[in-house]
Amino acid sequence: MSEVRFVQVSKEFEDNNKGKFMAVKNADFTIRDKEFMVFVGPSGCGKTTSLRMIAGLERQTSGDIYIGDRIVNKAHPKDRDIAMVFQDYALYPHMTIRENMSFGLKNLKRPKSEIDEKVTEAARILSLETLLDRKPRELSGGQRQRVAVGRAIVRNPKVFLFDEPLSNLDAKLRVQMRIELSELHKRLGATIVYVTHDQVEAMTLGTRIVVMNQGEIQQIDTPEELYKNPKNMFVAGFIGSPPMNFVKGRLEGNTIQTAEHVFFVPEHMLSTYKAYQGKEVTLGIRPEDILNLEQLTVQPAHNIIEPVIKVVEHLGSEFLVYFSIGEETIVAKFNADYPVKAFTKQQLYVNMDKMTLFDPETQFRIS
Amino acid sequence: MIESSQSSGIKTKRFTWENTKQFFRDYGWCYAFILIPLILFVLFTVYPLVMAFIYSFQRYSVLGSEWIGLDNYKSLMNSSVFWTAMKNTLIYTAATVPVNILITLFLALMIFPLNNKSQTFFKAAFYLPGVTSGITMSLIWLWIFDPTGAGLLNAIFNLFGLDSVMWLANPDTALFSLILMTYLGAHGAGILLYLAAMGGIPKSLYEAADIDHAGWWSKLKNITWPLLKPTTLYLLVMGIISSFQVFEQAYVMTMGGPNLATTTIAYLIYDHAFQSFDFGLAAAESFVLGFIIIVISVIQFKFMSTDIEY
Repeated sequence: MSEVRFVQVSKEFEDNNKGKFMAVKNADFTIRDKEFMVFVGPSGCGKTTSLRMIAGLERQTSGDIYIGDRIVNKAHPKDRDIAMVFQDYALYPHMTIRENMSFGLKNLKRPKSEIDEKVTEAARILSLETLLDRKPRELSGGQRQRVAVGRAIVRNPKVFLFDEPLSNLDAKLRVQMRIELSELHKRLGATIVYVTHDQVEAMTLGTRIVVMNQGEIQQIDTPEELYKNPKNMFVAGFIGSPPMNFVKGRLEGNTIQTAEHVFFVPEHMLSTYKAYQGKEVTLGIRPEDILNLEQLTVQPAHNIIEPVIKVVEHLGSEFLVYFSIGEETIVAKFNADYPVKAFTKQQLYVNMDKMTLFDPETQFRIS
Repeated sequence: MIESSQSSGIKTKRFTWENTKQFFRDYGWCYAFILIPLILFVLFTVYPLVMAFIYSFQRYSVLGSEWIGLDNYKSLMNSSVFWTAMKNTLIYTAATVPVNILITLFLALMIFPLNNKSQTFFKAAFYLPGVTSGITMSLIWLWIFDPTGAGLLNAIFNLFGLDSVMWLANPDTALFSLILMTYLGAHGAGILLYLAAMGGIPKSLYEAADIDHAGWWSKLKNITWPLLKPTTLYLLVMGIISSFQVFEQAYVMTMGGPNLATTTIAYLIYDHAFQSFDFGLAAAESFVLGFIIIVISVIQFKFMSTDIEY
């Protein structure tokens, strides 16, 4: 069993500038056997600290960490049966690729034949056979990244840890490596813990995702659930590209009244929001749920707005359109077949069937 | 970039008086600045070097000079004193340089894990003796090696019931005494260089090694030591050059004695030049010494040079 479990784990750092601060607060979760778990969040949210605590490179201030059935609170990194791929790859610059990959096994005093066999096999999986006698500086970024993965594979650990491994690669290579990592996970059937600040990486790779902010876990769920049913405004705003739009308003009867518009709430949703009648709410709308009226075959009766378009960003197959509702800047994602011009008025339909309502005070989703 | 494109532009122009004037208007001040150190270099380095090279083929003394071809070099090769000095210098170099590098590395390894304040204290403490002049240091060591019980070393020996040793007066211990001085002497500069190099090794390499089951020794042997190779090479080359030129200690403490036991090549050059006033022979010795240092340095760079990139 290669399960990783955090039980009420906290980590406090002491910094000369900031003083004492909690990098991770009461983290409590289980990473299941063979799961690809992605930690995502903005810089300083505690995701890398969590990963380093699993690795044993940081010691938690309180709480217990389990790898398999064993508590590893005080275990040295080498005794945790983990392998890690670092953000800067951390390849030993003076060693050849072969030496880099076999260093761990040599330290374990494994027989040479076994080391050779494992290095050759890992090199074959990662297409590194021809590079084994080169030094890291002779390799491209993508190749170095593969070597770092190879060094992890040869050890055949219980858990693989990845610390933002694609952040130093260019966009094209990142997409390619993402696919390779996904295939590798299926092939190895290993438990992988992966840290990234890139929500696209998180959504495409993760079996489940841990969204963190300011040391606290916001939500742990599948990519689909995170997107469809975010627990709070942070998750809703972080997952999805571009992020969800938020508009302040008041729930009055079957409408949400904002500074400029009145939006009609679908009948079947009203019972859910009963407790918020007459109160302030925050309306959450995904960019793809705002539609160009021209592309609709049936003319809707309500929820049509006519803002002045401020900016149009062309992305090829689609484009992003920016406009304002009150003080909020709103972004909508349109199909490229229906072009829109900047500085013109445009009739748009807000699909309220897909809306999400949040409590503006607690920032939690109203459900 | 701008410079090179301008200069390449000038290259394509025809050589005319106007162009030359323009060139000096644009770049003349650069040459003016370079000229000052260049004149000093020619006057105080190149000229003496060339003259010394010429003297090495002459019987040159204060009374006059005479061209004798390779005679100075030939007599050097046949001189037992020269070979004794060469042997002493080689023993001194072999016994001081590697050991001192290891001592420096050991001290740097001890200091590196400390916090900033403690590091600064130890850096200063180890660097301070290096600021003191060699002559002053030699005088202090003269007291430490004092053959009577008043000397520090013998006082310690006597404390443990051991007999006093004639450190500098005994041919068997004199060279060793000079070597011992360096072991306990200034390692400050080397420590600073090693600490800077250690600080440049990415922390993630050690973390990767921790996960790769590397213990303390494996990390030192497989990561720290190889990645400090450029610094070690520098210390080795500089150490060998300076130990081949060792003079002050032998001059102040032993005058090359007893019985030539501490006569080094540099001391011999001094002795021939300023005691015997045989400048031609001294110049020949200087060039032999220079040649040996160049050969050793080239060999070291060839076998130890590295181009590590993180």
